[in-house]
Amino acid sequence: MVLSVDFSLRKGDFLLQPKFEASDELTVLIGASGSGKSLTLKAIAGLLDPDAGRIVLPDGTAAFDGGSGAKLSPQQRGVGYVVQELALFPHLTVRQNIEFAIEHWLPPKRRDRVAQLVSLLGLSGLEGRRPSEISGGQRQRVALARALAAEPRLLLLDEPFSALDSSLRALLRRELAALRRRLDLTALLVTHDIGEAYALADRIVVLHDGRVVQSGTREEVFHRPSSLEVATLVEVRNFVPGEVVAQHDGAAVVRTAWFTAHVPGATYLPGDAVFLCVRPEQIIVLREGRTPHHATDTVVDVEIIDDMPGASVHRLTMRVAATEDAAEPFVFDVDVPTHPYEVLDIFARRNWQIALATERLFLVAR
Amino acid sequence: MGWLFAPAALLFVAFLAIPLAALAWRALNSGELSNNLTSSLVIDSLRLSAVTSTITLAIAIMVGTPLAYVLARYRFPGKAFVDLLIDLPIVLPPTVAGVALLVALGRRGIVGEYLDQWGLTIGFTTTAVVLAQLFVSAPFYIRTVKAGIEAVEPVYEGVAWTLGASPLRAFFRITLPLAWPSIVAGAILCWARALSELGATLIFAGNFEGRTQTMPLAIISAFDSGASIDVPIALSVILVLAAAVLLLLLRVVAGRARFAV
Repeated sequence: MVLSVDFSLRKGDFLLQPKFEASDELTVLIGASGSGKSLTLKAIAGLLDPDAGRIVLPDGTAAFDGGSGAKLSPQQRGVGYVVQELALFPHLTVRQNIEFAIEHWLPPKRRDRVAQLVSLLGLSGLEGRRPSEISGGQRQRVALARALAAEPRLLLLDEPFSALDSSLRALLRRELAALRRRLDLTALLVTHDIGEAYALADRIVVLHDGRVVQSGTREEVFHRPSSLEVATLVEVRNFVPGEVVAQHDGAAVVRTAWFTAHVPGATYLPGDAVFLCVRPEQIIVLREGRTPHHATDTVVDVEIIDDMPGASVHRLTMRVAATEDAAEPFVFDVDVPTHPYEVLDIFARRNWQIALATERLFLVAR
Repeated sequence: MGWLFAPAALLFVAFLAIPLAALAWRALNSGELSNNLTSSLVIDSLRLSAVTSTITLAIAIMVGTPLAYVLARYRFPGKAFVDLLIDLPIVLPPTVAGVALLVALGRRGIVGEYLDQWGLTIGFTTTAVVLAQLFVSAPFYIRTVKAGIEAVEPVYEGVAWTLGASPLRAFFRITLPLAWPSIVAGAILCWARALSELGATLIFAGNFEGRTQTMPLAIISAFDSGASIDVPIALSVILVLAAAVLLLLLRVVAGRARFAV
């Protein structure tokens, strides 16, 4: 039960060449706008033909095979496709929209299926309404019910929550995750919202400029991005330029102009130019007089130069003073949740020490 | 600023209203209106106009709808040329259309010559009336419907396809209903234009009572015969009423574009 995608498609100047697999789980396709996410879904749904390559549906049938020329029409693919604009049929009622894919079923079976979907998605009482007469969240659920009606082998979701406000988005995300587990369905979701990707994904596929630059579990992609592009996309935000000076015990010693740090992993060799990366929420602000947990953790003196309070986290900007090696100071983005912020009384003074825990650091090529 | 522009506005409204009012006034005071309305000239031309314009509309819908769809949805070589071809009859004097049809399909026309050899004569028949009307009025239908289909996002059809609907079913269940207001509007415009068609018909079909003499042609005949101005007046009143009803319908349809997305 694996969706396998490996094709190339040229559209104007843009070359789309995605290559990835997605199995019985929720795979999230992320990438900046213009990276080809939506085009990829469109090609899988059959609304756009690749120039070459293969698309194999989870049940093993080839939806597109550039080699043999075999191709299934969108009607034959059995793919549920929820587009960004939802495209509910405005002249049909909620019931007629949901029924659209199963109009040829026998009436009793069809009624049962609609009733099942209506209850599954909390739409009871709305069956007779038109899309213009229900809320944005309800429309979203109708689009999902319509896509699921004919029991698709694969569910494609193109930024399905983008039109909703944030509280509703969070609710529907939870519903979708629960629903997918219940239906045991292979689903592929496209989003440019990194928080959404983290909240929903079992696996993440990162597209950049039409190519897959990384695919893996959510933890791998968020905590071990393979390149600067991916790290930027998953909002790592701190990139310290440096150089690997030594490699021992499976860890690299990285020297930067401001400090030296130990970073796990043996990928990079002495002499490699790298960025030392750390996520803003992984930086530890040290209480006065405390030392870090591990001797290999790096302690850096910083000065807070900006403090942007948010609802649940403070976004701090911390400056590391210029050194003999570096004419410029380095600036860290550090996110501190409100509670530790208050316990530490961070507001009280400007000069602090931060700890960069070894296991939270990673490198990307510079 | 209203007081400044009001005189010009009123003057023009009067300019449009007075001739129509005069027509109505003369018709009602002639005392012969009911006689004139039942004269054979009026009845025959009325029937011919009704029949030919309805056939024209039917053909325009059957042939024009697929064409409008193709123009709205696909890009192909020569599309700009086809677009121009469809716009031309809208701006051409209808008499030019008549001459062109005659040269093409008349008995000595480049196509008509061959048709004539097979015993198929078009010029100066009722068929010619329909073709003349079709030539000048179908573009109004095609233009309007094309714009209506363009306004229906293709994503609706795409989603319908993924839901298992054949392209034809997606067209009839989704695209057509969503474009319905413009289809009705296009039909009304087309019908009104066919009903008022004169120049192309006169040249290509001639002016034969009962065969090619539609109402606008009958007005000319009645006027030329010099007998009485009351017959042209009666015919004119019918045409004005028909036009007014069609325009009202158009308003109702336009006001009911309810599936705004």
